[in-house]
Amino acid sequence: MEWIEIFDISIFRSLLRSTAPIAIVGMAAALCSAAGVLNIGLEGKMLNAAFAGVYASYTFESVWAGFTAGIIAGLLTAALFGLLSFTLGADEVLAGLAINIFALAGTTYLMRTIFGQAGFFSDPRIVGFEPISISFLQGTFLEPFLSDFTYSVYLMFLLAFVLHTVYYRTRLGTAIRATGENPEAAEDAGINTTRIKWLVTVFSGVLAGISGLFLSLENLTMFTEGMSAGKGYIGLVASSFGNNTPFGTFGASLFFGLGDAIGIRLQGVYELDSRLILMIPYALTVVVLILIGIRQRLRVRPVPISES
Amino acid sequence: MDKFSFKDVLVTFAGLLITSFIAWVLITATGNNPSEVALYLYEGGFKGTRNIANSLYQATPLILTAVATLISFRVGMFNIGINGSMYVGALYAGWAGYKFTTLGHFTHVTVCILIGMLVGAAWMLLPALLRVYAGVSEIISTIILNFVAVLFVSYMANGPFRADPIAPATPRILETAELKQIFPNSQFNTGFFIAVFVAILAHFILNKTTFGYELRSGGDGLVGMYPSRFSSYLGIPSDRSAIIGMLISGALGGLAGAIEVLGAVRYFFQELEFNQGFDGILIGILGKLEPIGSIIASLFYGAIKNGGFYVDYKTDVSREIIIVLISILIFFVSAQKIVKGLEKYPFIKKMDNFFSRKKM
Repeated sequence: MEWIEIFDISIFRSLLRSTAPIAIVGMAAALCSAAGVLNIGLEGKMLNAAFAGVYASYTFESVWAGFTAGIIAGLLTAALFGLLSFTLGADEVLAGLAINIFALAGTTYLMRTIFGQAGFFSDPRIVGFEPISISFLQGTFLEPFLSDFTYSVYLMFLLAFVLHTVYYRTRLGTAIRATGENPEAAEDAGINTTRIKWLVTVFSGVLAGISGLFLSLENLTMFTEGMSAGKGYIGLVASSFGNNTPFGTFGASLFFGLGDAIGIRLQGVYELDSRLILMIPYALTVVVLILIGIRQRLRVRPVPISES
Repeated sequence: MDKFSFKDVLVTFAGLLITSFIAWVLITATGNNPSEVALYLYEGGFKGTRNIANSLYQATPLILTAVATLISFRVGMFNIGINGSMYVGALYAGWAGYKFTTLGHFTHVTVCILIGMLVGAAWMLLPALLRVYAGVSEIISTIILNFVAVLFVSYMANGPFRADPIAPATPRILETAELKQIFPNSQFNTGFFIAVFVAILAHFILNKTTFGYELRSGGDGLVGMYPSRFSSYLGIPSDRSAIIGMLISGALGGLAGAIEVLGAVRYFFQELEFNQGFDGILIGILGKLEPIGSIIASLFYGAIKNGGFYVDYKTDVSREIIIVLISILIFFVSAQKIVKGLEKYPFIKKMDNFFSRKKM
């Protein structure tokens, strides 16, 4: 029917908006996966940061207080994950899972006990991020496409470039990739793999925290129970689909963002059950997982050279 | 994971003590009286026939999801999607409960349960195949399927299976499909005995049969790693056991959902909320991935969960505190190096040897 009505400038903007949280947490996941850390706990880090952000923003009526609190929450949760899996020898997956369940129940508990509200918490005192307009774009044809977004969209582009540079142009990036590809060889080459894993975990905690903050303090300034809604896991899938590279992850996240954006638009245009529309991102994720599977089946395996 | 040993029990109880202390701090910090909460927790969990029956009722699905978790973990697959299996199993068991009108009591219940288990197992087929034949992480695919399951059952209760024009719900199941409730004012039902029976059966199959050995050889000692080469050296197809283990795990999730609908709720409605699938993971780990350990851990968890409802009702403390505390407890239990570190104390080593010799 009116497909033209669906695809216009506003869907482009909505695409970037929905991509941002997935891309940021996806790059955190990519960084971890590149270093060989399977970080299931990103979801919990997002949730903790989202709650801490709302709480601090509500208490101090300042968005930057919320920002700081969110990052600290992400950092602390990441430190807990690192402590459990690297220092205390817990299984990475178990530690991540326990952290996710802990974060979901913990934020719900705190919200119900502190604010006495179930379901969601919203208050005019919570200050959110304001959109920023880029002055040098004003009047040009790019203005409707790239101006007046909140920080997350710009951060997403910046991160992709910065991480790409770090990955392929610095010693640190090489060390990270070496740790993931062949830990023993990396150790032999003098890289402290545990330290690299810690570094990556802590940094991914910050990124997941930022991503969670943008969920609760950007377009809607509120906290909902379980508001990360699997975005941490979708980020993991995006990083896996993008071969754990920054630009690959960014591309895969755009795909998920497109699904989200179309879903948002479909709600207005067609008579479709809202549950089916809500299912779009998850169904897309399943499709992407199947695609990853097909790609891995087709990938040519390196044949070991026989010793003669 | 190792078998139960004295040091595991010691770490669990030490963890419980530390967790209680954290709980005390947390409850005080949010402006409540910890000793009052503890009293209500005890009363809600253990005081009087009704509360005990309700505690056992809470434990029923937990036993099944914990066994589902441990079976998948022990074949080397991390099945996080048991909650999803539970949802679809509950939906289709409820559907079979009102659809088949001509069956006798026993046949009808059996048919409903089998359909629930079948659907629950089918839900796990895609992640299992993707994992084994294409190397796609089953952790992520099962987690994502959890989200799909919630929306899917909610859509079905609203659309195709909807009976009530006002509330989004399926028709009530027929009397022939009900699992009997034994005590008045309690949702405790005969499903509890099914759950315990299944757990004991799982114990025997896993530990005493060749089939169980084949299943375990894929994953034992290597929880969550890639299927071990060890089993293929033995000539056991670890791929096959991984898939079978995953399907059994899904079937048990479906069974948990079916019992919940046939025994307690009696119809499926949109707001029906399950999180026993996730709790089951925690309990499975707490029970050291052993069925008998899982029964004990489930009974404990069921009691404090029921106590948690009472605390929620009586005080300002929200019932989520229970899950928070259990996950903190898991942090201690899963920290292998704490457990290993205990080995250097001669007393603990002696106790360990003493108990493991007794088991032989």
